[in-house]
Amino acid sequence: MLTIIAWRNLWRNRTRSLIITTSVALGMWAGTFIMAIYFGMGEARLRIAIDNEVSHIQVHHPGFADDKEAKYNMPMDSLARVFQKIPAIRAFSLRSVTTGMLATTSGSQGIQVNGVDPAAEQATRGMQNFVQDGDYLDPAQRNRVLVSTKLAKKLKLEIGNKIVLTLLDTANNITAGAFRICGLYHTNNAPLDELNVFVRKTDLDRLIGTDGRAHEAAILLHRDDDLDPVFQQLKQALPQLQIERWQEISPETALVLSSLDTYSLVFIFIILLALSFGIINTMLMAVLERTREIGMLMAVGMNKLRVFGMVVLETIMLAVIGAPAGLLAAWLTTLWLGHTGINLGAIMGESLRDFGYAPVIYPVLPWHNVVQTMQLVLLTAVVAAIFPALKALRLKPVEAIRT
Amino acid sequence: MQTVIDAHNISKVYNPDTIPVHAVNSVHLHLNRGEFTALVGPSGSGKTTLLNIIGGLDAPTEGQVVINGINISELKPNQLINFRLHNIGFVFQAFNLIPVLTASENVEFIMLLQKRPKAERTRRVHELLASVGLSDKLNVRPSQLSGGQQQRVAVARALASRPQFILADEPTANLDSHSAATLLDIMEKMNREEAITFLFSTHDQRVIDRARRVITLVDGRIENDSAATQIRH
Repeated sequence: MLTIIAWRNLWRNRTRSLIITTSVALGMWAGTFIMAIYFGMGEARLRIAIDNEVSHIQVHHPGFADDKEAKYNMPMDSLARVFQKIPAIRAFSLRSVTTGMLATTSGSQGIQVNGVDPAAEQATRGMQNFVQDGDYLDPAQRNRVLVSTKLAKKLKLEIGNKIVLTLLDTANNITAGAFRICGLYHTNNAPLDELNVFVRKTDLDRLIGTDGRAHEAAILLHRDDDLDPVFQQLKQALPQLQIERWQEISPETALVLSSLDTYSLVFIFIILLALSFGIINTMLMAVLERTREIGMLMAVGMNKLRVFGMVVLETIMLAVIGAPAGLLAAWLTTLWLGHTGINLGAIMGESLRDFGYAPVIYPVLPWHNVVQTMQLVLLTAVVAAIFPALKALRLKPVEAIRT
Repeated sequence: MQTVIDAHNISKVYNPDTIPVHAVNSVHLHLNRGEFTALVGPSGSGKTTLLNIIGGLDAPTEGQVVINGINISELKPNQLINFRLHNIGFVFQAFNLIPVLTASENVEFIMLLQKRPKAERTRRVHELLASVGLSDKLNVRPSQLSGGQQQRVAVARALASRPQFILADEPTANLDSHSAATLLDIMEKMNREEAITFLFSTHDQRVIDRARRVITLVDGRIENDSAATQIRH
């Protein structure tokens, strides 16, 4: 009966209840949808990090992480044999990686030179898909280089231009090679674009003396869930090498993802905090309007716990009716925009790329966050009910009846 | 005769530290089971205050109220609420029904607070509303009932808890003469047939005429008690 009373009381002032319920619904829709955008950005960042940048796992010589010298390399044959035995591995790319100086007639810049097998690089990070202008590396053509559009713009480079890469070989001798720009690429990570150029592995190996050796092995898995088992397998198979998962290679991505839950919680909390004042106000008015009625209930024998429960129940209903409607609206919006995407390219595409995000965002709404939000709504309702409920409890029946 | 209410030396002073107002002054009141008593007196004579004190809604400044051998002045707040729930029925001048509940739900509500079984509640709701002539208004909300009908629901509600006695504060004050007469008929019938004790505070001559005992309060003191007068005569 308390539930019936609470429910019917809610609709005594229909307009007021509808206003607060609508506020809760709108607040929940806005909060949850923005949360879905954050999660979408996080998910996209993860996919970019794994599929286009660092892959799931990377293997290096232990000395390479501290000092990217050519001498810290690994034998390609034995690595390939190990990787080929693990079915969970979809593709791998064995790279020669070194730092050096890119020089042109118009300037120079410190860069990282990635010597790659074009096919393997396409398989692990879809490098060919990022070529905006010109051609991808041709396995049959010597001394071709892919530079980013950003670097090309900065150094005023064009397709067909020659550049000189000055590097250190395995014996720390300076060596240099002339390369012709075959294409311009453009990934979703502007800072990395500016620092990386790509050449054939065989061309780089010839310059720095790492034929048959690799500085970096990037491994792409069939499924994200295979990450830890494969990591353990590799650690056992290659104990002398440094095996790292994407979280260790790209800690900023891991940080973004791990902080998403916290961000969304804080965000929803702020919205609920604002809504709670509306709820408190509504319930206070409801209690004050019913002073005589509550006094009568206490006079005829309704104990304080029940009076408290009635007000709390009413408040919870007030908050909880609007929340599912808002969450449903957010889910539908996410479903729609998760399919079409939100293209921010025209407004802030470059800024997003500067932080490694794609300009098109596909919102994602994880169920655990929806459940968490509902729990927070309930908690807010209970907390918001305390003040009006205490107000009701402080009423003295004899005085309340006289009002 | 079984004593239901024994109010001993009751005084109530409002604003004792500023301008004291003596609402009730050393009142002794003794009510037996089955009495049909009217507490009368001019406005401000202390009728409602005395009724509230007897009903455990207000605490006396001095004195004690013993109901069925229990000194209610010694009960803790929650015990007092529970005591009221099981022992006292209230009828208020302004009816004070729960507007969002139907007539039957208003009556049932008290029994629900007493945790009575569903079957008993349903049976008693029907009995009580039939006894006050509202069998056809079970599912009607108070706003759709006349004042007289609302007060009859309030009487049914007061009886629902099977109380020791019913305190009615100006029960006919807001009713027309026909409704007042009907209500008094019902209460008289219940008093006669089920020996339910009634104590009214009232100005209403129609109630006073029906009461078998009339206690007159003036300035917070009992000026006349017809029972005592009868004994003296």
